[in-house]
Amino acid sequence: MFKELDPILHSQLRLAVVSLLISVKEAEFTFIREKTNSTAGNLSVQINKLKEAGYIDVLKQFKDNYPQTICKITPHGVKAFETYVKNLQSYLTIKK
Amino acid sequence: MIETTKNSICDNSIYFLMWGWGTMAACVLEYYMKAVLNSPYHGMAWLIIPVLFIVQFVIAFRKRKQENVKTFIGEASAYLWTALGISYCILVFIFAKIGWEYCFPFYIIFYGVGTYVSGRLIRFKPMAVGGLLCFPLAVASVYVDFDFRIIMLGVAIFISYVVPGHLLRVKHKKQNIMNV
Repeated sequence: MFKELDPILHSQLRLAVVSLLISVKEAEFTFIREKTNSTAGNLSVQINKLKEAGYIDVLKQFKDNYPQTICKITPHGVKAFETYVKNLQSYLTIKK
Repeated sequence: MIETTKNSICDNSIYFLMWGWGTMAACVLEYYMKAVLNSPYHGMAWLIIPVLFIVQFVIAFRKRKQENVKTFIGEASAYLWTALGISYCILVFIFAKIGWEYCFPFYIIFYGVGTYVSGRLIRFKPMAVGGLLCFPLAVASVYVDFDFRIIMLGVAIFISYVVPGHLLRVKHKKQNIMNV
């Protein structure tokens, strides 16, 4: 009845990051930090976990001599997010 | 959160206002030169357009530098307006060759296409409606004389660019206040 929830996505900040990235083509680290209201250190750790899981791609480059980190959701990440939402629904629609 | 993201990316009202008021000024100036002054150089009023193109590039370049997110809607809009911008330029060459008599209905159609699609993309009804209203205006403009056609072009710009542009700006400002 209750389906298992992806532990990678079942964390507030990681879910917020994936929710953000699913609605855009790509986003800079600063944008995600601003929208999620998180600290740079915590966000960096969570982004790394999402990257290791293959849910997002992270591109590090320089823009106007400043380091720039761009994040983009992968097809695997989209699928995982969709499955997570679907599984979460099984908790919300309990038949009595 | 997704709503906030959507809001932060859809304020392109500056472009609609710039092109809207700029083109309307050109319409008024051409009408004044042609209908009031009877000047044979009334077409010179449209020299404001290349200036607007330069301003557009400067604004777009600055905005791009500040941009920290790329969206699918933003990208689709950019492709649409690039194609329309090229189309406007090509129309200038075509009408320079075949005569300017019926150029305005075509421009009104393109205003309609651009603002209708943009309005639908950003889910902003006033812009989509303004775009749709351009189509009957384009048809009607064929049946009036050239002087009145200039006024109709001004009306088309007003309902598809100026009004939605201001409404979009107001909406964006309200959302910014709510998000603070």
